[in-house]
Amino acid sequence: MERRSFLTLVGATAGAAALGRPALAQDKKFNITLVPGLTTDAFYITMHRGANAAAKALGVNLGFQGAATWNVTEQVPVLQAVIAKKPDAILIAPTDKVQLIAPLKQAYDAGIAVFTVDTFIGTGVYQTGSGDADFPISYIASDNVLGGRTAARALAKAIGEKGKVYVSNVKPGVSTTDQREQGFKEEMKNYSGIQVLDTQFNDDDANKAAAQAQAVIGRVPDLAGIFGANLFSAIGAANGVKQAGKKGDVKVAAFDAPQSIVDQIRDGTFVMTVAQHPAEIGYFGVVCAYAHLTGNSVPTAIGTGFTVMTKDNIDDPKVKRFIYTG
Amino acid sequence: MTTISTTAPPVGRRLLARVADLRAWLFLILLIGFFEIWARTVYGSTFVGNFYNLQSIGTFATAPLLLALGQTFVIISSGIDLSVGFTMGLAAVVGAEIANFAAPHVGVFAAMLCGVAAGVAVSVIPGVVNGWLIAHLRVPPFIGTLGMYGVARGVAFLLATGMTVPVSNSWMTWLGNGRVHGVPVIVILTLIVVLAMQYLLSETRFGQHTYAIGGNRAAAVRAGINWQRHTIWLYILAAVCAGLAGVLYTGRFSAGAAQAGEPLLLDSIAAVVIGGASLFGGSGTIAGTVAGSLVIAVIQYGLVFVDVDPFWQFVAVGVVIIISVLVDQSQRRFLGGQQDE
Repeated sequence: MERRSFLTLVGATAGAAALGRPALAQDKKFNITLVPGLTTDAFYITMHRGANAAAKALGVNLGFQGAATWNVTEQVPVLQAVIAKKPDAILIAPTDKVQLIAPLKQAYDAGIAVFTVDTFIGTGVYQTGSGDADFPISYIASDNVLGGRTAARALAKAIGEKGKVYVSNVKPGVSTTDQREQGFKEEMKNYSGIQVLDTQFNDDDANKAAAQAQAVIGRVPDLAGIFGANLFSAIGAANGVKQAGKKGDVKVAAFDAPQSIVDQIRDGTFVMTVAQHPAEIGYFGVVCAYAHLTGNSVPTAIGTGFTVMTKDNIDDPKVKRFIYTG
Repeated sequence: MTTISTTAPPVGRRLLARVADLRAWLFLILLIGFFEIWARTVYGSTFVGNFYNLQSIGTFATAPLLLALGQTFVIISSGIDLSVGFTMGLAAVVGAEIANFAAPHVGVFAAMLCGVAAGVAVSVIPGVVNGWLIAHLRVPPFIGTLGMYGVARGVAFLLATGMTVPVSNSWMTWLGNGRVHGVPVIVILTLIVVLAMQYLLSETRFGQHTYAIGGNRAAAVRAGINWQRHTIWLYILAAVCAGLAGVLYTGRFSAGAAQAGEPLLLDSIAAVVIGGASLFGGSGTIAGTVAGSLVIAVIQYGLVFVDVDPFWQFVAVGVVIIISVLVDQSQRRFLGGQQDE
């Protein structure tokens, strides 16, 4: 009871603040809130940095509120608190493409412009006039299927286009990592010499990912490569390879570019990683929202790219700037 | 094995209790036999006769086992510590940051020692707070440690600014990945902790008091045991075990991650229960917990080794945990609800 009345109080205060705000069109500073899929991830922290850069350039107030884990039941209350504060626009990475439709519809009905970043609701195709999830203005993201394909091409090259590989993945049902796996497997079909073994799921536990790599190597001593579809899958698989004494023989490809992965590209633990451009997503998300709020038209989808990082190019400033940082 | 009851149970029942004690080990042997037969018939290779597999399983079991060792004491005292996963993460992050910070000043070896000491030392804090909440403010262990779960998690992420903290320290790497005569360093260190915990639980008054508090707290208090002070020490012990797991994680993966222990919490509790401890307190052994951790590690490793479909792996692990608890339940009923040691 105490907690509920406290929340009501917070909501009421926020509402009062919103009502009391002078509605002067000329000097109006737009309020935009970024709701990441989870706050404790270098990818979203980097996205926040990019969004901040754009907010500073455009004179926009940027808020950043999210849940600590990738979870619908944790994200929705955060979103509802954000809606209560009535920002002009919300940039959100929805944690589920179906379950977030209704909560985001509330934002839309309250007159808030909704943009999705990294992940999407419905089909991800907006402003078509059909379906119940076409109300977001735009979807700004990198294509994870393409990311998986990119990883496959780079890994295939590293293993001389022949041998056995497998995907070390988090758990089934996460849209981004599922798409990376899908892209990886599709692309590998183009290499007749490469056989993709069963995917191993590690529940985001590096210790388990390492044991699985050791077990697969135990059964398949001529394993050629592993694709770690996210941070802990990758560092776990790489450690398993190291523990098995196969460092260098089994090539490990990573996805994403936090400093801990980059350091291990330098020492040869990973042959490469696919860096997304989260700062770009954040930057263009804010620019897109600003353009919309000031009456300009914006594209309904913006795709950002990838950069393959290897030992040879990692010190190139053009590549280095894609390392994830806060 | 010590017992605090003064009347010796009849020989037959004692024998049964002995078998119940070894239940987790029997189960482990059964599992290994199962994988051995599978590996021989399908792949024509040995599962257990392969030193490589033993090394891998040993390495795999260390982190959940370290968490489970401290948890064993807490569960025997009829408590539970849900915060150990994030205490591990906190120690991993602090260990990484201190090792990085110290390296330019004192050299890599001393920096490794500083990192390990700092990680273990910082884990004492959540332990003390947990114990104090439970013993002095009478917060139920489930709620108190759940609160600490959140606090430790938040602080760890704040210290790490939401990222993983990379470490490049050759001695830290050795700690996590080194071998001595083929045996991983982390396995050796974990074995030392196992022996220390075995001694503490079965050979000292501290251990006896832990059973006494879990068996019947009111009686323990009447017998003159200071359960409040004892409880604080129990939660410190659990937290320090988690802290050690955290710094070893940092060494092994060359990075401290705040979420390092999150997926391990349930595995570690499962290991204690499979090992024969009762969640109602009063029973449990270190040997059982070791077997419980190995059971979980062997299933998960074995299923990948013999190439079971990943989705069936989820099913198999769940089924084994249920069977194990069912066996435990029926055995307890058969023994007339006796709280063995």
